[in-house]
Amino acid sequence: MPESAELAGEDLLLDGIRAGDQMSFARWLSLSEGRLRGSLRPFAARVDVEAVLQESLVRVWQVTPRFVPDGRPDALLRLAIRIARNLAVSELRRNRIDLVDPEFLERALADAERLTSGPDSGSDPILRQAIEECRRTLPRKPADAIQARIESGGAEPDAVLADRLGMRRNTFLQNITRARRLLAACLRRRGIDVASELA
Amino acid sequence: MTEREALVEEAAGAWRPASPGQVRPHPAWADLEPAGRLEAYEITCVLRRLEAALDPQGLSTTARAVLARISG
Repeated sequence: MPESAELAGEDLLLDGIRAGDQMSFARWLSLSEGRLRGSLRPFAARVDVEAVLQESLVRVWQVTPRFVPDGRPDALLRLAIRIARNLAVSELRRNRIDLVDPEFLERALADAERLTSGPDSGSDPILRQAIEECRRTLPRKPADAIQARIESGGAEPDAVLADRLGMRRNTFLQNITRARRLLAACLRRRGIDVASELA
Repeated sequence: MTEREALVEEAAGAWRPASPGQVRPHPAWADLEPAGRLEAYEITCVLRRLEAALDPQGLSTTARAVLARISG
């Protein structure tokens, strides 16, 4: 990632994204993904947030060249939240879930408007270093499983990754669970509560 | 590991079926009940930050999947 993007403010990132610079978009993703995902929490039991999030981010990339910021902070993130929320509502309607609870939509939309301030805590270099140090303590199989997911970048289903590692699907998923829990325990020993620090 | 636990862990991954312009849920997510879907969501929140911290460019697997899609 270019140094300029690392140091860039939101305006500079937005200029880059509008010009079609994927590095700027990548940097914006790393700063915004968690808050965008958090805004979809009210929908999590009813729509597949991961699928909605990915499609929303693709749409953000597509519409940003025509986007005119309103001058307030987090303009692009607020646009992304609107796109994601509308897509989530469309999914609810497509699945006819909206017939169940009209108040749910109102509550979910109000919750989605709330925006936590500041970039994702995962971008904190001290936290990143602690996680990396904990990763080095993982047993081989859990480390291999989580590494396979990272290297695949969401491009392949777990069954394919498991097969490549010579594991059965269940064994692979067990190793992902183990890696996640061991990392969380290691971080806790360092005084980092994963749930609160990474929320 | 029970089948439900496996479904939750699988649904927390970033892979989704290819469907340009559409939302297609993970088959594992579709097989879960609402409480399991919430669990998968909560795990995903933590997992993506862990993945991003372990990625050389600080990107989660969600971000990588999106960048792959916009790259065509």
